[in-house]
Amino acid sequence: MTSYVMISGATGGLGKAFAVECAARGYALYLTDLRPAPLALLAAALGRTYGVPVRWQACDLTESAQRAALFETIAAERVSFWGLVNVAGLDHEGLFLEQTRARIRTILRLNIEGSLELTHALLGLRDRATTFRIVNVASLAAFFPMPYKATYAASKRFLLDFSLALAAELAADDVTVTALCPAGLPTTPDCVDAIAAQGWLGQITTQNIGAVAAGTLEAALRGRPVYIPGALNRLLQTVGGLIPRSLIARLVNARWRAARQRPAAPAPQPTLAFRPQQA
Amino acid sequence: MTSTLIGKTIVVTGATSGIGLATAEALVRAGAGVIGVGRSAARCREAELRVRKLSQTGHVTYCTADLTQQVEVRRLAEAIRRLVAGAEQPRLDGLVNNAGTFTYWLALTPEGFETQWALNHLAPFLLTQELLPLLQAAPQARIVTVSSASHYHTDLKWDDIQLRRNYNGLAAYNQTKLANVLFTAELNRRLGPHASVRAFAADPGLVQTDIGLKGTPALVQRFWTLRRAGGIPAAEAARGILFLLAEAAIQESQQVYWKHGRPQPPSRQATDVAAAQRLWALSAQMCGCQA
Repeated sequence: MTSYVMISGATGGLGKAFAVECAARGYALYLTDLRPAPLALLAAALGRTYGVPVRWQACDLTESAQRAALFETIAAERVSFWGLVNVAGLDHEGLFLEQTRARIRTILRLNIEGSLELTHALLGLRDRATTFRIVNVASLAAFFPMPYKATYAASKRFLLDFSLALAAELAADDVTVTALCPAGLPTTPDCVDAIAAQGWLGQITTQNIGAVAAGTLEAALRGRPVYIPGALNRLLQTVGGLIPRSLIARLVNARWRAARQRPAAPAPQPTLAFRPQQA
Repeated sequence: MTSTLIGKTIVVTGATSGIGLATAEALVRAGAGVIGVGRSAARCREAELRVRKLSQTGHVTYCTADLTQQVEVRRLAEAIRRLVAGAEQPRLDGLVNNAGTFTYWLALTPEGFETQWALNHLAPFLLTQELLPLLQAAPQARIVTVSSASHYHTDLKWDDIQLRRNYNGLAAYNQTKLANVLFTAELNRRLGPHASVRAFAADPGLVQTDIGLKGTPALVQRFWTLRRAGGIPAAEAARGILFLLAEAAIQESQQVYWKHGRPQPPSRQATDVAAAQRLWALSAQMCGCQA
């Protein structure tokens, strides 16, 4: 029986890169994202280009009723899974007090609730014949407190710690969990502008999404708990780990405030930022 | 013995700026009707007005299509078929596959293809397939695909042809320009030596366009601004394309690659028949057409 890999946020920049990489490797795909039309378009093209089965189902993962409906549909289809890539996530950048409570809630619901419920549901539908691979898209921001992205960075920290704990819990059950922690990715024109605005630092910390997707799958297949794409980003994480976290928060805060006060500059973006895939 | 372009209808993609716009302008000056294609509706309207002013007949129509998407290429082909069917002279005499891009960071289209591969190679491939019956209905027709001397610097990386895993914008661009030559050669081989439709790959030379300025980092923009200063105006590149569309004497020419109205030897990789056939089959699969 065909066993699938599920990708959430599949029509966004990074999600699409995972979908293409998996299809190119010959994996059967189950894609989900917010809107049906882009899913149908991507699924058809991947199916015909790579000759793999591609299923899809639109779902707003921030809504528990829609999540429940998705899980019911999958169960009714009697599909089994050997992998899950939790890509769907979002951020509303800016000061905490500038956010509405609805926006804060949406970040938590998508980044945390959505990912955890999808993980829980798919582990229940796993293909017992093989190892189950989970990839959670966290961020380099998961390692640091990030003013102006406070909720987002903390939600990614949640995913990182959750991934490590779950990996330990399920190691004996032939399940691996890999947390992907990338720096900023050039997934949308806005992100590209933001990287350009960071000058050379943005340039050298930025990785192409195709290489990130391929490297992440390699890391997941080897059962690596954490994957940080790019040697320089790994160095940043290591060095950052030596600095007191409260100091990092103050430094990031100062840098962002300065960036915000520069007139006519594009929207400020710290280097250690991962932009959302699902708006 | 140049034959006339008067009364002919030519499709030009990427016709709102650079080489495409210059080609559209030169075509209407020579008395041809033009169906221009651009991505932005506003820029299409602007170019349509500008080109129509130069036209004696007023046969200038622009269509909006984002050619990075195959659904849009097919929709465009349908729109062109309707336009041609409704014209006084329902015929299509030429297609200029000019639209092209350079993308610094890897970006995937909604259909999951690398953007340069989709726009620079797959779009010409698919649009040509779609319009071929119409072109074959004309007494003589030409398909000109704008390639580049960039094609000399590469071969095709078959194990990762879109360079997704190891992306470099320029390497990916070079590959698409090689693909343009291979596609043209294979198209001619399939059409046969005495076909009414003939395909050519045009090397426009180094042209003063904005290709290196769109969505690229500041350093790339500075480099391109310096480099293009030594280039030729787009109108000069357009002359070479008009030659390939109009010159009767080259209808049965075995030369595939032309620069400024003269045949040039393409790279060794570009004359590899097996590679051309393999690329054709792969492109057909990617576009969902018959190989």
